[in-house]
Amino acid sequence: MEFAMNVILSSVRMATPLIFLALAELYSQRAGLVHIGLEGLAAIGSLSGFLVSLITGSPLLGVAAGAAVGILVNMIYAYATINLCAEQIVYGMAINIFAPALAAFIYRVYFGAGSELVQVGLMNSLASMLGVTPTSFIGKLFLEQTPMVYLAYALVIFTAIYFNKTKSGLNYKAVGEYPKAAATLGINVVGVKYVACVICGALAGMGGAYLTTCYTTTYTDGNVAGRGFIALAAVIFGRWSAGGVLLACLFFGFCDALQIRLQVSSYGVPYQFFQMIPYIATVVVLAVIGMKKAGPKGVGKPYLREER
Amino acid sequence: MKKLFALLLTLAMVLSLAACGGGKTEAPAASGDKPAATETEKPADSGKTYKVAMICDSSISDGGWGMACYNAMIAAAEKYGWETAYSDSIDQSAYYDNIVSYCDLGYDLIYAPGNQYTDAVLQAAEEYPDIAFALLNGAESTPAKAVNSNVTSLLPNATQIGWIAGALAGLMTETNTIAFIGGMELDTTKGKYEGYKEAAAYVGAQEGKDVKTLDIVYSNSFSASDKGIEFAKAMMDQGADVFFGDASAVDSGARQAIDEANAASGSVKVYDIAQPSDSLGQNECIICSQVTDNSGLVGLSMEAVENGTFGGETIYGTLQNGVLSAGAISDLVPSEIAEKYQGYLDQMTNDTFMK
Amino acid sequence: MKNSSKLVSFLVPVISILLAFIIGCVIMAILGANPFVALQSLWIGAFGSLRNVGTTLARSTPLIFTGLCACFAYRCGVFNLGGEGQFLMGSIVCCYIATQSGIEGLPAILLCLVAGAVAGGLWALIAGLLKVYRGQNEMIITIMLNYVATLFMGVVYTNWLRDGSVPQTVSVPDSTKLSRLFGLRVTTAFVLALVAGLLVYYFLFYTSKGFQLRAVGLNMTAAQFNGFAVKRYILMSFIVSGAIAGLGGSAELLGTQFRLINGFGSGYGFDGVAMALIGQLHPLATIVVAIFFAALRVGSTTMQAATGVPTSVSDIIQALVIVFTVAGLAMVKLPQFKAFLGRLTDKKQKEAA
Repeated sequence: MEFAMNVILSSVRMATPLIFLALAELYSQRAGLVHIGLEGLAAIGSLSGFLVSLITGSPLLGVAAGAAVGILVNMIYAYATINLCAEQIVYGMAINIFAPALAAFIYRVYFGAGSELVQVGLMNSLASMLGVTPTSFIGKLFLEQTPMVYLAYALVIFTAIYFNKTKSGLNYKAVGEYPKAAATLGINVVGVKYVACVICGALAGMGGAYLTTCYTTTYTDGNVAGRGFIALAAVIFGRWSAGGVLLACLFFGFCDALQIRLQVSSYGVPYQFFQMIPYIATVVVLAVIGMKKAGPKGVGKPYLREER
Repeated sequence: MKKLFALLLTLAMVLSLAACGGGKTEAPAASGDKPAATETEKPADSGKTYKVAMICDSSISDGGWGMACYNAMIAAAEKYGWETAYSDSIDQSAYYDNIVSYCDLGYDLIYAPGNQYTDAVLQAAEEYPDIAFALLNGAESTPAKAVNSNVTSLLPNATQIGWIAGALAGLMTETNTIAFIGGMELDTTKGKYEGYKEAAAYVGAQEGKDVKTLDIVYSNSFSASDKGIEFAKAMMDQGADVFFGDASAVDSGARQAIDEANAASGSVKVYDIAQPSDSLGQNECIICSQVTDNSGLVGLSMEAVENGTFGGETIYGTLQNGVLSAGAISDLVPSEIAEKYQGYLDQMTNDTFMK
Repeated sequence: MKNSSKLVSFLVPVISILLAFIIGCVIMAILGANPFVALQSLWIGAFGSLRNVGTTLARSTPLIFTGLCACFAYRCGVFNLGGEGQFLMGSIVCCYIATQSGIEGLPAILLCLVAGAVAGGLWALIAGLLKVYRGQNEMIITIMLNYVATLFMGVVYTNWLRDGSVPQTVSVPDSTKLSRLFGLRVTTAFVLALVAGLLVYYFLFYTSKGFQLRAVGLNMTAAQFNGFAVKRYILMSFIVSGAIAGLGGSAELLGTQFRLINGFGSGYGFDGVAMALIGQLHPLATIVVAIFFAALRVGSTTMQAATGVPTSVSDIIQALVIVFTVAGLAMVKLPQFKAFLGRLTDKKQKEAA
C-alpha cells in the first residue's frame, strides 16, 4: 500500500512537466500545426528559467522568463511555417537542434568552463507556504505540490472548457480542421495560428522552466531528456482532448515512476526494458485502439491564402 | 529579390537578437570562455611549451565527472606549465575526429577521461606514434594493445574508492541500509559498488550491526538529475540512510532529494558521501567526500612526456600513492566515529583492512 | 522559367549557408575568436589533406544512408522519422551475425549487410502496417520505435553481447571489417552509399514503378483514383527506406565503429531527414548535402581545437543552415514568390526583345 502511494506521488511529480508540454502540443495541433520541436523549446525554457531564477532569486520570474523565451524562439517556427509554409516537421526538428545548442552555448559562456556546480532555490510547495506539514497521503498529494502543479491542472480544465464550450474555442478548432472553411466564415486563420504558436511557446517554455524551478536545483545540458517527444505521444494517445492528454501524461508519469521503483526493488532484468515501457505502451495502445485518425484534419498541411 | 532579402534578413535579425540577448548578460564571464588556449607561464628553464588536450563526451560544466576531469587537467597543467585545450559534449561518432584534430595541431598529450574512448585512442595512437595518450579509467590491458606503446592507462583503484565511502557508511548508518546510485554499467562503477558494499558490511559487523546495501541502480545517463531525485526517494522509502554514487549530475539530484527529506523530518538523518572532489558544504547532507586526485595522475603522465619515458604502462591511483583519499568530514559525524573512520582509513593504507 | 527555378533551388541553400556562417562568425567575434582563423581551420579540418577528406567522406557515409532513407519515404508521401531506429536495428542484427555466427570474411560481410537491411526494413514495416491498417500517424510510431531501438541496443551492449569493462559489444573480427579506400578512413561503405544513391535515383526517375510511387507521394487520392495500389506502395516505401537505413547501420558497424556502444548512431535519423529536405528530395543532391554536413562536422572539430570556441557554436551554425534553407525553399514555392519571379523573367525577356 505504501509502495502504491509512493508511486502515485512520484507519478504526479513526473507527469507535471509532461502536462505543460503536452498542452503546448495540443494548442499547436488544434490550430493545424504539428510541432516536434518542443524538446528544444523546453531546453531553452529550462535554461532561461534557471538563469533568471538564479539572478533574481525568484522562481516565479524564472517561469515567466522560460515562457517568454519559449515564445520568442517559437516565433521562428511560427513565421516559417505560417507565412512561408515551410514543412512543419522539419522546422520542429530544426528547433530541436538549434535551441538546445543555444542553451548549452549560453550556459557555457555565462558560467565558464569547469565551474563549480551552480544550484538554485526551488519554488515552495503550497504546504510550506501555508506553514503546514501534511503527513497523510491525501495531504501530501494535494498540498505538497508547487503552484505550478495546480496551474497545470487548472490549465487542463480551462483547455477542456475552452475547446468544447466556447465559440472562440470552436473557431480555434475549425482552423485546425478546415482552415479554408474557417476563413470563409470570417475567422482570421493566420491570426489564430500565431496565437497558437504564442501559447505553444509559452507552455513549452514553462514546462522546461518547471524542471529547473520546481524539480531539480541544477541545470544540465539534455535535462529535458525526451519529454518533448513523450508529450507528442501523449497528445495523440490522449486523442487530442484535454482530458485525454491529462490521462496520457499521468499514465506515462506512472510508467516512469514504476520503472524507477521496480529498478530499486529488483535486479536482474535489464533496466532498459523498464525504460521502454512508455514508448512500447504508446505503440501498443495506438495499435489496439486503431480507429480512424481522430486528430485535426488540417494538421501538417500549409495554409495558402491564395488557394481560397 | 527585395522581398527575398527582406525575409531572410528578418530571420537573421531575430536569431542574432536572440544570440546577442544572450551575449549581453554574459559579457562579464565571456573572457573565461577561452580556456582552450589558456596561456600558462612558460617555465624559464625549458625551451618548449608542452600542450595537452582533453576530449570529453559530457559537458565540462556538469558539476560532476566532466568538471572534475577538466579541473584535474588544469591543475596539473598549472603545476607543470603546460598549455591546455579541450573539446566537450562530443558525440560518440566524433571521438576519433576530435583526437586527430589535436594530433594534427601538434599537441603532445591527449587526455581522454573514460574507458569509452579506448577504440578511438588506440586507433589514433597507431597513426600518431610521437604523441602520448593518457586514458583515465582505461583498462589494464589497453597499454599493451598500442603498437607504438604510446598509450597509458590511468586507473584509480575502484575497490578502494568503494572502501573509503563504505567504511564511513557502515559507521554512520542507523537503519543498517545503505544505497548506491550508478550512472552507466561500467566495470569501475561495479567495482566501486562492490567495495562500498563489502567495506560497509565489514565495518558494520565490527560495530555489531548487520549493514545491507540496496541493489545498485543505474540512471543510464550522467545528466538526468531528476532521475537522481526519484531514485533517492525510492531508496529512502526502502530505508536507506547513507548514499554514495558514481553518476555526476544524477548524484546532485539525489542530494537534493535527501536534503528535502531531511528538511521535512526536521533533522539531518540521511547522509550522502560525495565524489570525486571534496564537495563538503555543497549540500547539507554531505558528510564526507571520497576524493580522487586525478590531477596527480595527469601530472605523472606530463612528467613522463617531458622526460621522454611515456608509454605502455598502467599508472594506478591508490590510497598508498595519495591519489585517493577521504575529504573533509562534516560536523554531523560525531568525533568518536570520525576517529574510528580514520583508523579504518589507516588500515586501508597499510593494507591491513579486512584482513 | 524552368531554368530560373532551378537556379533558385540551387541559390537558396548557398545563401542560407552563407547567412548561417555570417551569424556564426559574429558569435565567434563576440567571443573574441578570430572568425577568419576559425573558417580557415574549418576548411583545413574538412579538406586540408587527403587524410581529412577521407575522414569527411567516412563521416558522411551514415548520413547519406539515412538521408536516402528519408528521401525515398518522403517521395511516397510517407513521413518516416524512424531512420535512426531502423539504422540501429540493422546494426544490432549485423553485430549479432558478425560476432556470434562464427562466419568471417566476405561471406560474413555480405550476410551482415543483407541481414541488416532486412532488419531495418522489418522494423520500418511495423510503422507501415500500423499506418495502412490501423490508420495511425507514422511520425509518432516511428519516433517511439526509435526510442525502443535505442534502449534495445542498450540491452545488447550492456548485457547480451557485452565485452569487458565498458558497456560495449565485442568488436567485429578483423576479416569481417570493410576494407579502407587508399588507406584512408573512408571505406567501401561509402561506395555502397553512392551505389544505393544511384539505385534510388534510377528507380524513382527512370522506372514506371518509381513514377507511380512519386505519384502516390504527390497526391494520394488522385493516385488511388487512377487505380494505383496505394497501400502496397506505402508499405513498399516503408520497407525500402527502412532497408536503406538498416544497410547504413550495418555498413557503419562494419566500416567505422566495429562495435555497438552508447551513442552509436545517435541523431542520424533526424539528420537524414534534414539532408533529404535540403537536397530537395533528390537522391543525388542528398548525397552532396550529406557530404557538406559531414565536412562541417569534421571541420568544426579542428575549428574548435584551433580557436577554442565551444562546440555548440558549430551546432548552432548547422541548425541555422537547416533553419534558413528550409524556410528559403518553402518561400520560393510560395505563389507570391513564383509570381514575382515570373514578372522578373518577363521583364528580362522584354528587355532582350
